[in-house]
Amino acid sequence: MPLKAAAQALGQALGQAGGWFFTDKGGSLAAMIQRLAILWMLLGGSVFAAEFTQADREWWAFRPVRQVVVPAAGAGWALNGIDRFIARKLAAHGLPPAAAADRRTLIRRVCFDLTGLPPTRAQIAAFLRDDSPGAYGRLVDRLLESPHYGERQATFWLDLVRYADSDGYKSDHYRPEAWRYRDYVIRSFNTDKPYDRFVREQLAGDEIDPGNRDALIATMFLRHWIYEYNQRDVETQWREILADVTNVTGDVLLGLGLQCARCHDHKFDPIPQRDYYRMQAFFAPLLPRDSMPVGTVAQRTRVFERHQAWAMATAELRRQLHAIEQPALLGRATGEGFDKFIDRIKTMIRKRPEKRTAYERQIAELSERQFGVEPAKLPERLTGATKAEWERLRAELKAFGAQMPEPLPQVKFVVSDAGPVAPATRLPKAGDAVEPGFLSLLNPGPARITPPPAALRSTGRRTALAGWITDPVNPLTSRVMVNRLWQQHFGRGLAANASDFGKLGEPPTHPELLDWLAARFVADGWSLKKMHRLMVTSAAYRQASANGPSEQADPANTWLARAPIRRLAAEQVRDGLLAVSGELDLESGGEGVASAGSNRRSVYRRVMRNSPDEVMQTFDSPDHISHMPQRNVTTTATQSLLLLNSEWTRQRATALAKRLAKRHSGDAAAQVAAAHELAFGQAPLSAQLNDALAFLDACGAAGEPPALAALAEYCHVLMNANAFLYVD
Amino acid sequence: MNMDTPATNRVFSRRELLLRGGAGFGAVALSGLLARENALGQAARPSFVPPHFAPRAKRVIFLFMEGGPSHIDLFDPKPLLNQLAGQRMPKSFKRPITAMGETESPLLASPRTWRRHGQSGAWVSDWLPHTAGCVDDLAVIRSCWTNGINHSGGVCQMNTGQPLAGRPCLGSWVNYGLGTANENLPAFVVMTDTKSTPTNGPRNWSAGFMPAAYQGIRLSPGAEPFRHLNLPNGVTPETHRRKLELLRRLNERHRAGRGHQSELEARIRSYELAYRMQAEAPEAVDLGRESEATRRLYGFGNKETEPFGRCCLLARRLVERGVRFVQIYHGAGSKWDSHSKMEANHSRQCRQSDLPTAGLLRDLKSRGLLDDTLVIWGGEFGRTPMSEKGDGRDHNPTGFTMWMAGGGVKGGQVIGATDELGLWATEDRLHVHDLHATVLHLLGIHNLDLVYHYKGRPETPTINEGEAYTKITSG
Repeated sequence: MPLKAAAQALGQALGQAGGWFFTDKGGSLAAMIQRLAILWMLLGGSVFAAEFTQADREWWAFRPVRQVVVPAAGAGWALNGIDRFIARKLAAHGLPPAAAADRRTLIRRVCFDLTGLPPTRAQIAAFLRDDSPGAYGRLVDRLLESPHYGERQATFWLDLVRYADSDGYKSDHYRPEAWRYRDYVIRSFNTDKPYDRFVREQLAGDEIDPGNRDALIATMFLRHWIYEYNQRDVETQWREILADVTNVTGDVLLGLGLQCARCHDHKFDPIPQRDYYRMQAFFAPLLPRDSMPVGTVAQRTRVFERHQAWAMATAELRRQLHAIEQPALLGRATGEGFDKFIDRIKTMIRKRPEKRTAYERQIAELSERQFGVEPAKLPERLTGATKAEWERLRAELKAFGAQMPEPLPQVKFVVSDAGPVAPATRLPKAGDAVEPGFLSLLNPGPARITPPPAALRSTGRRTALAGWITDPVNPLTSRVMVNRLWQQHFGRGLAANASDFGKLGEPPTHPELLDWLAARFVADGWSLKKMHRLMVTSAAYRQASANGPSEQADPANTWLARAPIRRLAAEQVRDGLLAVSGELDLESGGEGVASAGSNRRSVYRRVMRNSPDEVMQTFDSPDHISHMPQRNVTTTATQSLLLLNSEWTRQRATALAKRLAKRHSGDAAAQVAAAHELAFGQAPLSAQLNDALAFLDACGAAGEPPALAALAEYCHVLMNANAFLYVD
Repeated sequence: MNMDTPATNRVFSRRELLLRGGAGFGAVALSGLLARENALGQAARPSFVPPHFAPRAKRVIFLFMEGGPSHIDLFDPKPLLNQLAGQRMPKSFKRPITAMGETESPLLASPRTWRRHGQSGAWVSDWLPHTAGCVDDLAVIRSCWTNGINHSGGVCQMNTGQPLAGRPCLGSWVNYGLGTANENLPAFVVMTDTKSTPTNGPRNWSAGFMPAAYQGIRLSPGAEPFRHLNLPNGVTPETHRRKLELLRRLNERHRAGRGHQSELEARIRSYELAYRMQAEAPEAVDLGRESEATRRLYGFGNKETEPFGRCCLLARRLVERGVRFVQIYHGAGSKWDSHSKMEANHSRQCRQSDLPTAGLLRDLKSRGLLDDTLVIWGGEFGRTPMSEKGDGRDHNPTGFTMWMAGGGVKGGQVIGATDELGLWATEDRLHVHDLHATVLHLLGIHNLDLVYHYKGRPETPTINEGEAYTKITSG
């Protein structure tokens, strides 16, 4: 097949990057040619050369955020700057905006969007009554001030960072500390912590604010990887962990799929393999910590200096003790035991902690998680002269006890560095050492790293990374975040692939608007609440979902001449049903609750990776193993069966029926009206009221269920209805 | 060669997809999926893409022996092992990292009686007498290898291609690529021989980053084969009918003025589908309709063989009705794992699974279904020649045996080889990616041409690796 051979030769000629397209030796010629075409089309040859091309540098996401002038379009309709940009595109496409949504529709939409909960009847009534100017703005302010705002927003963030309360893998051990991160996120959103600060804490809280417990908890961002407690191939597991934190940082904060460049230069984006390892090098010194002191630099320094003095004075004593104790301890290690490791790892474990390199410390401590030692049993394990010697050394060491510093309070399940000297990061195969650096297209040199105070025993690398990511001139960070917020409120980001701003993602539909929002976000002190407010008070957001010309000419609603109709997310379905039935327990914060039997908000449930909650999973809650930028929205028979036949849904219906029967005793019409408004936010039409009464009659008349049961069946139907499951 | 063969999915309008309809369980999900069309403007499902080439298999039954069956005691005899039994492995053998660190433990002899079987003369040990009788239908692959050294990683990899969690499993990819042939039943069904949960739980049949519509649906034999299929207690069919009628009226009213929103229509259809499933699924799983002879073939009437036999017979009934991919876990919860007392463990596991496995092959064959039904047998890894705890074996991911039968596979062949102790695969090594590529190949799918866009990136079932062992059809 000369043509196929030619195609392969061409692939070779294109260099390493092109080669990937021709690795499937069994592939058809057609497929090869097609890939070649896609390659050319997408890249225009951009990544074949080591140098970046003009096209790379001009890719929209890598260009600086522009200061954009708000257009003059949209007079008479526009309420804020957003609308001017939207109106200009609408005019260009000859699309009139939709009418404003009616108040009942709007309050249901904005309540679900900002708090994840349906409006109560009292909220609806108050909003309908308030016909003074600014009523809607005040409603938005109330919602943003509600503690439920943070609970709703946290859901998005927890999806992004693959938060879970368990390890994954076979045993799926519970992580008793992880919930503190969830509460930290909720708290951060509720107090409107500036986004740049929020990011810096999560990447490097231990370096930038070591005395702040919250900042340390924030670093759990770097602990959410899945973890196999008995993985004897410790070094491979550690490599995967470093890859995971590198990938998730790129996905969440930069909106770039770095992992493509782990094994080879990125095929589509200007991310050479070296850049992947430049980025990973920031995390190379990472050390998972389950006892991390909370102390200011001054406090940490005091403790450090005292400890140093004690260590120096006792060095020889401790060396001798180690020589006696360690064989007696490791020989009878508990848990998974010591003997199952390969020799290389055993050697690292046997080294005295102060003699280990940073890398040896990482691997040894990761290995030590697999077994326990029992120093309390040393007296019975040691015998004879050894025991006498040991007792003598112990007593001598004890005499130095008074020189030991008072320990600082601790937090668990966080990270620090393994020491002030980072282990080398090397390119796979080539083996070249790589220094920490940012995406070289944006910032080609090595990163400038300022070592933190010595007492922190840290490299300062993650602080440098956090500084670059949150630098207002970083073209990705602000764009990525405002685009995520836009996706929440408009169903789809201005750039449709919220975590891929590279060449495989769709370019933004409204690039000027995206830049205007990004610049505004930074100018507003990275305030998320201000950005939410700007978006949900726009005329664009407040449109009705019906608009004939737009539905005809723009079925995908790219130009936003109407509000999108959206299915409730899994948490909204569950919380919504509990809210409607009157059973929702609004207590906030604290350790996660088990799936069964709790009526707390869904965000407070334990997320066990291997045993997902049925309602959550059925309605597309992600697996919490990988980063999830935008949930799938499926419509399945499984969902229908769950809502129709599960005991759980029926219990909600019964609870609602009891609530109604109590509040509107003996008044079927009032019961129906209240149920309808609770579930849908709307009063029933008279035909619907008649249908409902006929249904209650028929169920009752047939002598099947008594009145309360008939009412429960009616409520159950409402809970299955599209008017409940979708938001206009 | 057809130059029009699409590398990925084609562009269909929402409306077009809905009008085409009839693509079943997954299809209801279409409209939801299409809310998000990807970077290249393509719909998020290739459901109407013709096969990349002529399929040999139309459906798959994957018999997953969970815990790691010992290839060197079942399909891959190693005379040297018995010669060196009790000694350390010779220095010439490269040392792997093993789960329990048994690299230097003495080699453990295989006390099995080995015979060549069938016309092909393939070796099978006395632990699998019934499978041995079908050996001329099997392609025994002795050179499988994988990366996961523990159960979790191994089972995850055998399902999804990599030891780390998060990717869609093979069944989901097949469901995504081919859909179901019966819209009233799920395309991808999972069963376990006992109530135990396999290692990793439901994420073994999860769709990973793909929509949940592609995940496996667990089927439990009994009165309610699928979750929530039956009406709740106290709801009569009459009340149920009234409720559905009221729901229909509410939804029709809601849809008025929202006609452009295809999700709403799809949601209405999902209730119709649920209703039809309630009617059809019970018949599909009613084993009372099978003859006594058939039931005996699968080992009914024997406490040891019946549980797995029941799953195998259900699998046949499901694939007959258009289910695309059935996975059955035998020994759910790592029951094949034999770190000690191999003899007792494998004797029991083989007694439970051997006869029903052969029964399934024979039954499929006699009904003409084996020609286009691919049957796969194997675990997440094999076992080491080194002993553990004196009478057991450690996990061996570096070389192990699986077999495939039917679905275009040429029977009576042995593919690849391990070294003289069965530790490392040496000839025609087939990584899990290659095995998956081979399965997809038999289904008419090229493993690198089935693409799902996730976070804007083109994802393939074998992570841009893997090559189908195409000779499996010809020997």
